[in-house]
Amino acid sequence: MAEKKEKKPLDLNRRQMPKQPPEVRKYNFNEVAFGYPEDVAVEEAKRCIMCKKARCVQNCPVEIDIPAFIQAVADRNFAEGIRIIKQKNCLPAICGRVCPQEDQCEKTCTLVKKEGQLAIGRLERFLADWEARQGHVEMPDIPEWTGKNVAVVGGGPAGLTVAGDLILRGHRVTIFEALHRLGGVLVYGIPEFRLPKEIVNREVEYLKRLGVEVHTDFVVGKTRTIDSLLEEYDAIFVGSGAGLPWFMNIPGENLNGVYSANEYLTRLNLMKGYLFPTYHTPIKAHRRVAVIGGGNVAMDCARSALRLGAESRIIYRRSREELPARFEEVENAEEEGVIFDFLTLPLRYIGDENGWVKEMVIQKMELGEPDDSGRRRPVPIEGSEETWPVDAVVCAIGNSPNPLIGTTTPGLKLGKKGNIEADEETGMTSREKIWAGGDIVTGAATVILAMGAGRKAANSIHDYLMGGNGHGNGADDGSGANTASDANAGADQNTT
Amino acid sequence: MHFDSLVDALEFAIEKEEEAEQFYTELAEKMERPHMARIFENFAEEERGHRRMIKDVIMGRPSFVPQPRVADLQVSDHLMDVAPSPDMDYQQALIFAMKAEKAAYALYTQLSEASEDSAMRDLFHLLAQEEAKHKRRFEIEYDEQFSGEN
Repeated sequence: MAEKKEKKPLDLNRRQMPKQPPEVRKYNFNEVAFGYPEDVAVEEAKRCIMCKKARCVQNCPVEIDIPAFIQAVADRNFAEGIRIIKQKNCLPAICGRVCPQEDQCEKTCTLVKKEGQLAIGRLERFLADWEARQGHVEMPDIPEWTGKNVAVVGGGPAGLTVAGDLILRGHRVTIFEALHRLGGVLVYGIPEFRLPKEIVNREVEYLKRLGVEVHTDFVVGKTRTIDSLLEEYDAIFVGSGAGLPWFMNIPGENLNGVYSANEYLTRLNLMKGYLFPTYHTPIKAHRRVAVIGGGNVAMDCARSALRLGAESRIIYRRSREELPARFEEVENAEEEGVIFDFLTLPLRYIGDENGWVKEMVIQKMELGEPDDSGRRRPVPIEGSEETWPVDAVVCAIGNSPNPLIGTTTPGLKLGKKGNIEADEETGMTSREKIWAGGDIVTGAATVILAMGAGRKAANSIHDYLMGGNGHGNGADDGSGANTASDANAGADQNTT
Repeated sequence: MHFDSLVDALEFAIEKEEEAEQFYTELAEKMERPHMARIFENFAEEERGHRRMIKDVIMGRPSFVPQPRVADLQVSDHLMDVAPSPDMDYQQALIFAMKAEKAAYALYTQLSEASEDSAMRDLFHLLAQEEAKHKRRFEIEYDEQFSGEN
């Protein structure tokens, strides 16, 4: 009689990712999460039930073949796993860390109803990190020059994607970046403890080795206009992001010690303010920091302030349920000791005799009756004003595109908030030879959406440059160049 | 302020709406950015709509329906005043518009409270509620466009 095989019960629990303990990490800027160890990644991948209709793929802005790469991890075929991801995503180490998977691919995972959705983002990160550790770079063949030159304005996620896609199709690509380093929000905005800058540097170095020319400290709209660049370039992609911070327009916002989130984070991340005296650009150490807003940027600011030794609080006008930040980031902030003041609105800031902020007047709010849309909006509670001591305020309520390019490029159609209007499928604007994508079009959004827009624009630009009308979704020029999907294979391997 | 008749009061209201329309139209012409000009043209169109409604009342075709008091979100109450300028952006335009609607609401409310004639009182109350509705629309737009993370 054949021995009956003992069947192991299926463990559907989502695997936790090891992290620095809160009491340790709140004193350093090192990455909080360590990533899955190999065995844990394989266990997590094995939880995937391989749905026939993979809704995770439908919800991915760049349509990665998620079940295929998950299967590769389960089979311990990591090289195949990362190859599959890179067919669609050239920045997996970044997206695996900062993209809101819980609102995209993981949101529709069948396991949501069971023991927790599959950790798709963490597995993406695992593969990217695994590949980086292998320490080799496979440089693809660059096709012969097509005779066309493309200018990319802005070196953030959208611009990097366009540059990577077009250089491998034989066009010469030049990136013009306003700051002194490429990466956009990835280097000036997202803190080291969420996204180590070494990872962004790898991507940038890889593009340079492919032949992408880079001009930093070059402000298009000031140094040269778009029309001036068009005298030399056959096409221009504008991916200059949403770098213009909003303030609330309340009294006292001009006091010293009141920052925009952009300034605060740029001083820390790009200028390494926390590494003084190694870097000569310190940031003032504050004792009580109030961060206004409830998004991911607000969490980044509050957690950074904590690491600089401050008592750090989030001031948010609505309730916990409405917080727009990723759950994971809110949880991390709470564990580290950030204080949350919900249903609280700053009314004005009060300064000392030297013009530094010393207090803020707040008003408590309550949620009103649902309006026509069913939404309960916060309304002030009469007589609930209080004065709180603060010595720094960081305003993290959102950004819109900088108006510079819009106002210096005649004929470029703009939206209400100064965003460039561009076709969703091609990135084409109202001006011939000018494409746009990413936050400059959508307003502040996610890295993966910016990359998706960059890829569509690259296809359209290539089609146009090869004689099409820009709607050909990437005409075959017969050069034998790699496809857009292949274009960035190896982009994350530049570790040698 | 005193009005001898209901028609006098209505004509005053039309004048106020015309002034507002004219103001937004001139502002649109001064804008450096075409998209901002379009925004102020839309604001002017809104004021034209108000004027038409008041004219309908004079012509005996009242289009105002008594409504419950419009909730005030008080979004603009603590914001600093914005002076109109050719390089205004959308956020500034909305702040300006919210405050202008609030001033119009306050004026009609004051006139309603000061009216001895009940028909006139009701009319100014209705006009005030129209302005409050208008203000609320701008407040919701501001809330959604510029306070999504706040």
